[in-house]
Amino acid sequence: MASGVLIIIETSAGQVRETALELIGPAREITDGGQVAAVVIGSGIETVAGDIARRSVDRVLYVDAPALERYTTDAYTRAIEAAISAVDPAVVLFPGTTAGRDLGPYIAARADATCLSDCVKLRWEDNGLVATRPVYQGKMLTDVRVQSGERSYAVMRGGVAPVPQASGSGSAEPLAVEIGDGDLRVKLKDVAEKPAGGANLEGAETVVVGGRGLGSAEAFGMIEELAAALDAPVGATRAVTDLGWRPHYEQIGQTGKTVRPKLYIGAGVSGAVQHTVGMQGSETVVVINRDPDAPILKLATIGVIGDLNELLPALTAEIRAARGQ
Amino acid sequence: MKILVAVKQVPDPNAIRFDGSGAFAASTPRVINEYDGYALEEAIKTKEAGKADEVVVLCVGTTKARDAIQRGLAMGADRGILVQASESDLTSLTVASIIASEARDGDYGLIFVGQESSDGGTGNTGPQLAALLNMPLISNVVQFDLDGGKLTLQREVEDGRHIVEVTPPAVICALTGLNEPRSPSLKGIMAARKKPIEEKSVGGYDTPETQTEWGRLYSEQRTVQATIIQGDDAEAAAKQVVELLKERKLI
Repeated sequence: MASGVLIIIETSAGQVRETALELIGPAREITDGGQVAAVVIGSGIETVAGDIARRSVDRVLYVDAPALERYTTDAYTRAIEAAISAVDPAVVLFPGTTAGRDLGPYIAARADATCLSDCVKLRWEDNGLVATRPVYQGKMLTDVRVQSGERSYAVMRGGVAPVPQASGSGSAEPLAVEIGDGDLRVKLKDVAEKPAGGANLEGAETVVVGGRGLGSAEAFGMIEELAAALDAPVGATRAVTDLGWRPHYEQIGQTGKTVRPKLYIGAGVSGAVQHTVGMQGSETVVVINRDPDAPILKLATIGVIGDLNELLPALTAEIRAARGQ
Repeated sequence: MKILVAVKQVPDPNAIRFDGSGAFAASTPRVINEYDGYALEEAIKTKEAGKADEVVVLCVGTTKARDAIQRGLAMGADRGILVQASESDLTSLTVASIIASEARDGDYGLIFVGQESSDGGTGNTGPQLAALLNMPLISNVVQFDLDGGKLTLQREVEDGRHIVEVTPPAVICALTGLNEPRSPSLKGIMAARKKPIEEKSVGGYDTPETQTEWGRLYSEQRTVQATIIQGDDAEAAAKQVVELLKERKLI
């Protein structure tokens, strides 16, 4: 009978995605007496698989093949389905990466099962999985219970659980999976690395970030002035860079940069998970927003609710005065 | 080649407000889900470039969902399919299985969906659809090219962008940045009134048993104590923020 939890550890170019290591803690909460097993997927990953075995995981398998160097749906699916057969888990847990969010519902649907996606908390109750997940862009939460099925599938949100420390020793078992070129319907031709450039957002002590709530590229002038008053770099959300209001190298979040400033000021930023995973290590968070329900207010130290067109110039003027500019 | 675009109608994320019991006003305006707008635009552009013959817009939803289809038709889609459902029928796997059934019957070369919805936000529909149809899945698409029967797509992921190639049929999940969806013109709106919308009902499909039970909505307990300032008087609010930042030695 299926028991325990299998967690999916994604790698890219031989490096483990940190988000995948965050699955270990939540998996421990829902084992119901079973094991926590992990499958590490990638190319040239024997050593990193051994490292996973040192982080309170009971059993580690790894699938190592050149076709798995970076995520493609077909190749990863072959590897994960082989691991599911080998482990027979009651729950399969996927990381909140772009790949994990594909694979959870994809692999579940291939087994005629549903998937609990974007979960922030898991618990095991009355022989079933219950997940807490945000809805309405993080404005509310709800608990979803799996009612039936031999196996449950869930995708955790990134950044909600800590990464367990490695200690002692451990070993990983190779799992042989044949993946030929003919298995891959989608061919990865090239990888365009994230654009470099701009000020050093990652190392900055203060960052000033604008979101789509600003309404236009022109309104970013107010963000630039506030940033200048604080000698801080400007950051942006994905929506803003994708709309072409700001250059891509200013993007903060899952597919952009990660910042950990002492002071983060965000204006017109709603707080989509895509952005918050890249800024939740900030010490003091100042949020300026017209929507009192904006999810980013849950992360705020100071929140100001009102009209950005009035608040931003007023704040810039006060900061200039305070700094004697 | 025919293109199917599956869209969802959602409460306007800019207008929705929740009361203490986790409910929102029934009068909250409904809009087409934002990401679905990128999906529609790309499908219509592909047809306009002479690379597709027909764009069909499908919505599984309550009666009001007809508006979402009308908008797609006004943007330039050729015809619509409305599958009437009640709120409780709309779990992601049920919806995906209905879309999959239509996709099979209609012999589509491309199926476009938005990356995720602004309400449930599971992002499940595209992956489930690809699995049910046994078609390749390409998610997080920010650039789309169809040339000589081959697709070259850019996916925005943690590494930067993955540039991938695939031959249709395929399921494509559209992300912000793919394009700028057009606003329907007056002419488009007039033309849409004459375009057919086929009405069907959930009961006509073989859908899987519901496997999940969704609880009521509640709001998150704050973990950090925040100072919330009402910014009606901008100058006073700015002064207060600066005082708080000075106390923390951040200015």
